[in-house]
Amino acid sequence: MSNQQPAETPMPMLMLFVTGTAPRSQRARANLAKMLDQLNLSEVKPFEVDLLEQPEQGIEHAIFATPSLLKFDTTGEVSVLYGDLSAEERLQTFLSDLDQPE
Amino acid sequence: MQTDEMKMQKRKTGIVGLDNVSEGGLPSGQATLVLGQAAAGKTVLSLQILARAIERGEGGVFVTFEESPAQVKRDAASFSWGEKLLTSERWQLIDARPRFGAEAAGEFDIEGLLSIVGATIAKNQANWVVFDGIDQLLQYQPDPKIAIDQVRRINDYCEDNGWTLLLTGKAMGESMAPAHLEGIEFLLSATLVLSARVVGQQLNRSLRIAKFRGSRHIADELPVVMDDDGIQLPYHEHLPTAEVVASNERISTGVGRLDKLLGGGIYRGSSLLISGRPGTAKSTLAGSFAEAAARRGERTLYVSFDEIESPYVRNLTSVGINLRDPIDNGLVQFVDLSAFALRVAEHFLTLRRLIDTFDPHCLVIDPVSALLKASGTEGANLATEHLIDLVRRRGITTVLTSLSGVSDPEGEVTQGQVSTLADSWIVLDYNVRGGERNRSLSIVKSRGSAHSNQERELLLSVAGVDLADVYESGSEVLMGTARATKVRDDAVAERRRQLEREQRRLDLEKRIAQTEQERDLLKAKLELEKIETAETDRLEDVQREDIRQRRDPEQENSEEHSRLDAIHDKGE
Repeated sequence: MSNQQPAETPMPMLMLFVTGTAPRSQRARANLAKMLDQLNLSEVKPFEVDLLEQPEQGIEHAIFATPSLLKFDTTGEVSVLYGDLSAEERLQTFLSDLDQPE
Repeated sequence: MQTDEMKMQKRKTGIVGLDNVSEGGLPSGQATLVLGQAAAGKTVLSLQILARAIERGEGGVFVTFEESPAQVKRDAASFSWGEKLLTSERWQLIDARPRFGAEAAGEFDIEGLLSIVGATIAKNQANWVVFDGIDQLLQYQPDPKIAIDQVRRINDYCEDNGWTLLLTGKAMGESMAPAHLEGIEFLLSATLVLSARVVGQQLNRSLRIAKFRGSRHIADELPVVMDDDGIQLPYHEHLPTAEVVASNERISTGVGRLDKLLGGGIYRGSSLLISGRPGTAKSTLAGSFAEAAARRGERTLYVSFDEIESPYVRNLTSVGINLRDPIDNGLVQFVDLSAFALRVAEHFLTLRRLIDTFDPHCLVIDPVSALLKASGTEGANLATEHLIDLVRRRGITTVLTSLSGVSDPEGEVTQGQVSTLADSWIVLDYNVRGGERNRSLSIVKSRGSAHSNQERELLLSVAGVDLADVYESGSEVLMGTARATKVRDDAVAERRRQLEREQRRLDLEKRIAQTEQERDLLKAKLELEKIETAETDRLEDVQREDIRQRRDPEQENSEEHSRLDAIHDKGE
């Protein structure tokens, strides 16, 4: 799995909350994959949660809007980016600290 | 053909006043927008509706987008229904506050939210859903139109799933559009507007049904009271629906002569207004009414504004009215309220609760005009109107006193309009004459009774209250010393007249006696004369017989005969 990184280089984990095959969720999935590619982070595989199937995950992570991208950094801090990730600059900024370990 | 399906179904809110003005509650299976400025009571209203639903065995989900769950619980805990709500298993509180520092990179859906709520609801078999402050989430939408679309999506989802949803929104100024969600007010079928305005340094709350598509409703701005029981519309709660039977029974005012003037007392279940300037004995008359009720074994709720119990009761004792005993044995519940302390609507609510719990036969409010001092945009008129309506429907015989201005003894007319509403109206006043101030009483109106229209003098003494009969002098009514003087003068004149009459009678009797004596005398004389005449006649007969015998040839006594003839001639 993508999140099983060596202990000395802990990778922040990404979680993408979606609702089934809703257009915005599909777009987010595609936009995220594209951006990870651009940033040479294609080995990072976001963990996907479908709230239609696992609504309790939404309560656990306090995510009620889909799609939403969650980022857990090494200190356990969580950042959230709402939306279909079509705002490339925002997405890039949001993911910018992912490439630091390289 | 589909009318039953087409007809709007309503779900009770459990807030009696709101259910009344909305004729049954909020649209079932639809979203209602609850609009209001900060601190207008949106969250409390939602929590209260949920609490009442849970009491009825329904369930719900409360999704908070703005306040923390702890804060929501604290909100609920400060009300009487809070504890039951907080310990109930039939609802869920979901913390849906957007994460701190969250950003948006494009449009998003709220399908996830609906899915989460749907899953929670399925567990609770709930039908109430509250989205409190959803603008906090939807403001992240880059395009406001999408936010509106999503509210529509929420509304559709409610209809499909049979949820009754309360959607709170922040009001901006006088606009009907909530912040961040302009346009949703057109979308949803019902809108409640809560407001909290500071008037005269006091907070005045109100609620208005700004929109209720397809349903009759009262659209006015309605006074709201928020107290331990939460949000209430004091003027729109249930009133007894049973037909009120107009009683023909008269009950005493405690002043026998006053009862007589009123045709036997005031009707049971009617209202009596006693108005007058300060010191005209309004409280005394009210106290006398309560005392009389206690003597009949009836309960009286005695509400005093701005005067506390012990001096009030003591003062009544000085004029022979004993309220101490009925208070001690529970027939009179004496409540002293401070008019300034609460708003008019709150006073009304307090009075209604007292009436509910004590269930009195009689009610005294002394003075009802004190309500005018309490603040409240809706004014005292509404409160007194509702109060009179309430007591009338419950058949409570009510005495209200009202203070009128010093220069305007009947000035009550301009305040509160109680006089037009009350069944009977007594005006107390002073009558100043000859250096004296005497209390007067006049019955201005008394519905359904023939009543005296004359002013009377009101007398107070340690023995109690009484009325002195008026003393008419020409076109005037005399009181006090003037009355006493007049009474005395008239009594003297009357005595003189009687003496004179007696004298005349005696004179006449005397004359009759004298005349009768004279008559007897004359009668005796007449008798004597009759006897004399009879004797004379007899003697004459004897003589004539003598003469005849003498003239007879066989008679010799002619000498004698001629002598008797001579006497006879002399006599003629």
